[in-house]
Amino acid sequence: MRKGALKKKQRQLEELHLDRREALGELVLGMYVQNNWDDDLLARGSAEVAEVETELNELIAGNEPEGPSATEKDFPVTGEHRLPTGEHDYPATGEYTAEHAVPVTGEHTAEHALPESAEHDYPATGEYTAEHALPESAEHTAEHAVPPPQPKLSRAEKKAAKKEKKERERQEKEAARAAEEPATPVPAPAPSATAPAPSATAPTPSAGAPTPSATAPTPSATAPAPSAKTPPVSPPAAAPKAPAEAPSSEKPAETPAEKPAEKKPIEVPPPPAAPEPEPTDPLDMLEKEITENEARAKTALEAARASQKADAQTELTAITREVESGRTELDDSLKKAAAAIAAAEEKASQAEARLKRETAAGREAAAEWVRGQAAEIEADAALAAEMSDEGQAPATSGEPDPVLSARVTSLEAELAAEKAAKDEALTKAAARLKEIEESARLAEARVEAAETAADEARNKAEVQAAAAPAGDGKAATEAEAREAAVNWLRGQISALRQEIAKSDEAGNDPGGS
Amino acid sequence: MGLFSRGGQTGRERRAMQDHLRELDDMRRNNLGDLGQMTVEMASEGRFDRSRLSQQAAEVAKIDREADLIARGLEEGLTLQELEDLARGDGATSG
Repeated sequence: MRKGALKKKQRQLEELHLDRREALGELVLGMYVQNNWDDDLLARGSAEVAEVETELNELIAGNEPEGPSATEKDFPVTGEHRLPTGEHDYPATGEYTAEHAVPVTGEHTAEHALPESAEHDYPATGEYTAEHALPESAEHTAEHAVPPPQPKLSRAEKKAAKKEKKERERQEKEAARAAEEPATPVPAPAPSATAPAPSATAPTPSAGAPTPSATAPTPSATAPAPSAKTPPVSPPAAAPKAPAEAPSSEKPAETPAEKPAEKKPIEVPPPPAAPEPEPTDPLDMLEKEITENEARAKTALEAARASQKADAQTELTAITREVESGRTELDDSLKKAAAAIAAAEEKASQAEARLKRETAAGREAAAEWVRGQAAEIEADAALAAEMSDEGQAPATSGEPDPVLSARVTSLEAELAAEKAAKDEALTKAAARLKEIEESARLAEARVEAAETAADEARNKAEVQAAAAPAGDGKAATEAEAREAAVNWLRGQISALRQEIAKSDEAGNDPGGS
Repeated sequence: MGLFSRGGQTGRERRAMQDHLRELDDMRRNNLGDLGQMTVEMASEGRFDRSRLSQQAAEVAKIDREADLIARGLEEGLTLQELEDLARGDGATSG
């Protein structure tokens, strides 16, 4: 076997050893958690680890391992066998249960890896949780059965699942490569010249062996490819070991005869390129996605806050304006009501003053006229008495005196003139009385109009704003006063008419006689 | 849910949590390897000392609990103080 192939094999064995140790540790952890210890299972797991360890030690010691390598029958500790392919043999027990069979219908249950689909972007781990974007169409055909909501796995379980998947992929790739191997020419016999010791002890691989051990020497030729593709699970731990142990594996090959050949550059496959930071790492992708979503959510939140603030301000301004306009309208209506009340009071006071003035003037005029009439009546009475005295005196003498008769004639003429003047005065007084009555009626009408206006203004004031009560009692007293004045005037007029009638009768009697 | 409640966590806290989670992962792998090696040695001796295995497994379980807590803090955007309170609460409830 070539040195490169040996190194590769050694690296694979070291990785496998670490993985099996960890798997055994997981097994112990599971037993501890469940408090269910199974010594048999522990012994089996330990045996598998020990097997890999032995093989690794042999390889390090320079003995090329015989038979099937542990890297090619890497079944998990639990004894679970992965899905067999055409290239793989069935396990030795011949057990092949329905658990491992791919269903004919093409259904994929949660146990099997989801098929790769361009439509749905499933994460590498096969998880499909709510954190990953669902397809927009929300279509789920029967081919892609939506997995039932699973309980949240812990990190350890997730890591174990991831590791198992990686292991499965590696196995599948190796199997595929092993299937292609018979077609390629096998350079197995050549290394026997450079490594005589292993070739002497180890028998050549039997071509007729049905197990994958028939292709055991060849994987080294194609081995670098999977190790370069798959992310190194434990390169930090294995890397420092490999250079340190490499010289020990080369030591048995070093013989004095071959030292000149040793100086030639050894065909060592180029070291695998340093693993680049995987952009497809689910954690990084998730982190990136979360960061982007976070930024988007922050932006949306800020925009929502700003719009909410602006809306609240606008609403507040509108409410303030409404309140101010309502207050202004209320103030205006109050002012209007106060002005209406003031106008009504002004009108009422004006009407009252006018009524007082007119009543006083009417009383004065009536009293003046009555006084004049009384003076005239007295004068007429005195004249009548004097005339009667003079009429008795000539009757006693027996002869009419010409002077006296002239005097009587002049007096009669004077009396007639006075009567005429008296009639005229009576006519004037009647006209004046009519005028006074008319003016009193007008004054009453004005007072009524003023009262009506006052009532209207009061009603208006009461409707608009509970105004102060107006002077109702005042109006009542005014009406009573007016009524009393009119009654008094009517009484005076009737008394005057009676006196005039008496004086007429008295004047007619001497004339008639 | 976690997306919108991430306000309290700073970027530094988040990086610190991620670093710590990586450290815990490495520590867990090392401890599991040690546990496996211990089991192999016991198997070679022909006797399994369950108390020693339990002790080592308890260490791994402790690491697992801490890693779960840190992962929860990362998912829900909790601050270190909130995480500490949560850990104390969990410790109080479990203890």
